[in-house]
Amino acid sequence: MQRYIVWLVAAAALGVAVMVFEPFFFAPSSRSEGAAGFKGQPAPAYTLRDDRGAAVSLADYRGRVVVMNLWASWCPPCRAEMPDLQRLSVYGKSRGIVVVGVNEGESADRASAFAQSLQIHYPIWIDANQRYGRSYNALGLPTTVIVDRNGVVTRAFDGALTFDQMRKSLTAAGASL
Amino acid sequence: MIALVALALVVLAAVIAEIALPGKAVYHAGWYNVSLCGLAICSIMAARKRFAAAHGIRRRAGVVAIAFGTVAAAVAGVASGLLGPDNQNVIGAPGQRVRIEGLGTLDFPLSDASAADVTLERPLRGPLAIGPGTRNAGNFILRASPRDVVFVEARDLRGNRLTITQPTGSVFLSPVLLMEHRQTIAGMELPFDSFNVPAAQRVVKAVLFTPAQAAMLPHNAETGEPAVLFAVDDENDRLLPHAIALSSGGKSAKAGGLALRGRVAGYPAVDVMSAPNLIAVILSALLVAGGLIALL
Repeated sequence: MQRYIVWLVAAAALGVAVMVFEPFFFAPSSRSEGAAGFKGQPAPAYTLRDDRGAAVSLADYRGRVVVMNLWASWCPPCRAEMPDLQRLSVYGKSRGIVVVGVNEGESADRASAFAQSLQIHYPIWIDANQRYGRSYNALGLPTTVIVDRNGVVTRAFDGALTFDQMRKSLTAAGASL
Repeated sequence: MIALVALALVVLAAVIAEIALPGKAVYHAGWYNVSLCGLAICSIMAARKRFAAAHGIRRRAGVVAIAFGTVAAAVAGVASGLLGPDNQNVIGAPGQRVRIEGLGTLDFPLSDASAADVTLERPLRGPLAIGPGTRNAGNFILRASPRDVVFVEARDLRGNRLTITQPTGSVFLSPVLLMEHRQTIAGMELPFDSFNVPAAQRVVKAVLFTPAQAAMLPHNAETGEPAVLFAVDDENDRLLPHAIALSSGGKSAKAGGLALRGRVAGYPAVDVMSAPNLIAVILSALLVAGGLIALL
């Protein structure tokens, strides 16, 4: 009986000690994550309008690898990157890869006119309230997020990418290159 | 015997108070924590005396259980109060996810309404909605408290909507100003924030006025609603001519070549307060209760 009590008290002591001292091993500190922090997580998706006014959502692209590029017309690196994204959209058409440009905070007319001036033919979505930008914690523009066929983020990048960098980043999403 | 039980009850009452009334400054005060330690030491001394005088294993185990429960409760209280992290008010923009190490990730709702709950996501546990009431999460107690934020919209003078960025804010691409800074203007301490409109090469400072403060401003019709004063600079931080305007009642105001609209809304922030671990306190209380039963 005495032995059982000793063991019981010892076990309780150990349990209490672990619970009580846990905060010292994991001191709370808040920090924000960029889009790269979403790697391995389901990609947040919202219904938006495209530049022609049709309702669109990332969720509609389940089953395909999506390259989602957040951009704005005033952003020089976005402008520099867009021809390579156009090239990728043509390259990926037969490979189940879709490129989507999400314009952050601008009017549909402005975004559409700008895309046309650069001969961009991939879908342009209008995110007037900058929902994608803030929910993906974008650290700047452009931000590119790669989403696999199951709607999970596999890679995310802050800053402009070249065609080769984009193509290589798709391997993690299981795209056939 | 009475001293041992009284010490146990006082310590338990103190740590239960830390859970029931979290976030008080007194829990982090040195004298409070030294008192808890003192009570625990007194409890051990009283228990030693009682242990020597007690007959039979049951009574001795009872004394040990009460002393251990008291010490464990005191250590839990000191751990959260003296050694635990200070209280923090976590402010997030709609849609932002803020990771708190050792706790989880706070997911701030995209909804503009203050009624929407912030959700705490923790590994291996279900999501925890955090509302105005306190929620216990291990070594922390969480509570949502509404605060005023400003949803801004910027257009050029032809009506084209423009991107808002916050290079110095917590979320770069957010049109929601969290108004975390304070500035004194004409004796009034006012919340302010700033944002950029890169397409127009403008930097805009926004100052928030309560309805009463807004009513005192010249050229402002008394709307009974909060107002936002916009001051527009160029990208070199030089104030432009005709670059100060007031937006109240969600109406647009023209300043520095921009049409700016500020809509004030309540949005939850989360108070994160360290507290004695609830399970540790329950175990301590059970030990004390078990010890008392054994002594009866």
